[in-house]
Amino acid sequence: MISVAPDMSNKKSSVVDLDSLREEQIALRIKNLDLYYGEKQALENISMNIPKGQVTAFIGPSGCGKSTLLRCINRMNDLVDTCRIEGEILLHNQNIYEKSVDVASLRRKVGMVFQRPNPFPKSIYENVVYGLRLQGINDRRTLDEVVERSLRNAALWNEVKDRLHDSALGLSGGQQQRLVIARAIAIEPEVLLLDEPTSALDPISTLTIEELITELKDKYTVVIVTHNMQQAARVSDQTAFMYMGQLIEHADTNTLFTTPSKKKTEDYITGRYG
Amino acid sequence: MEINVNKHISGQFNDELEQIRNDVLKMGGLVEQQLTNALNAVNNSDTKLARQVLENDYLVNKLEVQIDEDCTRIIAKRQPAASDLRLVLAIIKTITDLERIGDEAERIANVALESFNKAQQEFLVSMDNMGRKAINMLNNVLDAFARMDVDAAFKVHKADKKLDKEYEAITRQLMTHMMEDPRSIPKVMDVLWSVRSLERIGDRCQNISEYVIYFVKGKDVRHTSEADIKDKVLS
Repeated sequence: MISVAPDMSNKKSSVVDLDSLREEQIALRIKNLDLYYGEKQALENISMNIPKGQVTAFIGPSGCGKSTLLRCINRMNDLVDTCRIEGEILLHNQNIYEKSVDVASLRRKVGMVFQRPNPFPKSIYENVVYGLRLQGINDRRTLDEVVERSLRNAALWNEVKDRLHDSALGLSGGQQQRLVIARAIAIEPEVLLLDEPTSALDPISTLTIEELITELKDKYTVVIVTHNMQQAARVSDQTAFMYMGQLIEHADTNTLFTTPSKKKTEDYITGRYG
Repeated sequence: MEINVNKHISGQFNDELEQIRNDVLKMGGLVEQQLTNALNAVNNSDTKLARQVLENDYLVNKLEVQIDEDCTRIIAKRQPAASDLRLVLAIIKTITDLERIGDEAERIANVALESFNKAQQEFLVSMDNMGRKAINMLNNVLDAFARMDVDAAFKVHKADKKLDKEYEAITRQLMTHMMEDPRSIPKVMDVLWSVRSLERIGDRCQNISEYVIYFVKGKDVRHTSEADIKDKVLS
């Protein structure tokens, strides 16, 4: 319960106050972001700060723009011809949409994992080191270390350590998704974007990934889009509710799921007609 | 923010929430009846009515257990959030207090089974007075619950002070009597315990009023001063 009496609740120390974030606590700063697909405006004047070392979840009904916003953070929308973006997203005080920004190096800092696990048709080992090989790193010892570290961090090492050179396609869906996360964190990004990472997985694999997400936030800033509200409630520190291209409410998850301040948020998370 | 209890996409969920709300009111009505009967029994030395109160307490207990089970099932199956979650929590807590009020009514009914002489009858009159106030408080808080009316709940919250004052006054009166006539102590003690029960009923009504405020406003106002509730929650 939210208390107006002296706060005796045992809040996790990791939860930060969104209204008074210090500069060094902010991983990403989104400022007045508008996005159009052709004539249609998909995002309207989004402004928010995404805190460092925390899990931020975007929730909202289909078509509300949450995936679009997520894709903006590593410029995936550049691939859409009709897409036009105004406003800024700042990573280390640098607008990622400036012309001088190298998209490849941006995506090294901001990794992404998709809804369906998409391992390459290669061995488990080669999947993990793929990003490093692209950077020209081929030193066997370095690669071995990265593989073990990444797979351990992705909670997959114990299951695959004896078959690193088998095809990744032989893994189960949940294992493939963790492999893809291992591949994303092998290049040590600062931010990890997860676009409905468990919607194609069974409940047990889902819980494994959720457990992994809470461990990942010690090292990375995690932004997750999910259709599963309980998942957002379970894994995230902050939750942003979006509706029809607008950011309706962004608050710490405990508050948003017990006492949301906006009617629209309340209606959505309790499953009512809008 | 306005709260719609129904209007869920799932009609079944609407029905389930509606059902537990109605059951709480049913339980509240039953407890109110028990308390009224207990006080009437004392007032009229009606031992038959008193026994009926003692017998019917199991109905209150049964409803408490049933509503608790329903709440458990809703939490497990529906994972309620926001106002739905607060409603279920408020109900779980409300029925605990209602059940205890039922127990207090039982205790008061026991007094009706004793016989009192003329002088002692006097205390029963002051007790009856206080009892009416307690019933009134219970009635008002159930009404506030039914309508989820924060202002009405706050009025009940404030009313508890009056009941506390009355409790003190009667206690003083009873103490004087015990000092004057030590032989009356056993009977006076019975009355004192009942008066104490009425005072506790006031506290429990106050608790329920806090759950109503919690449900509607999302703020936990337990252990909060009236001024703070007024300034920080209701404004």
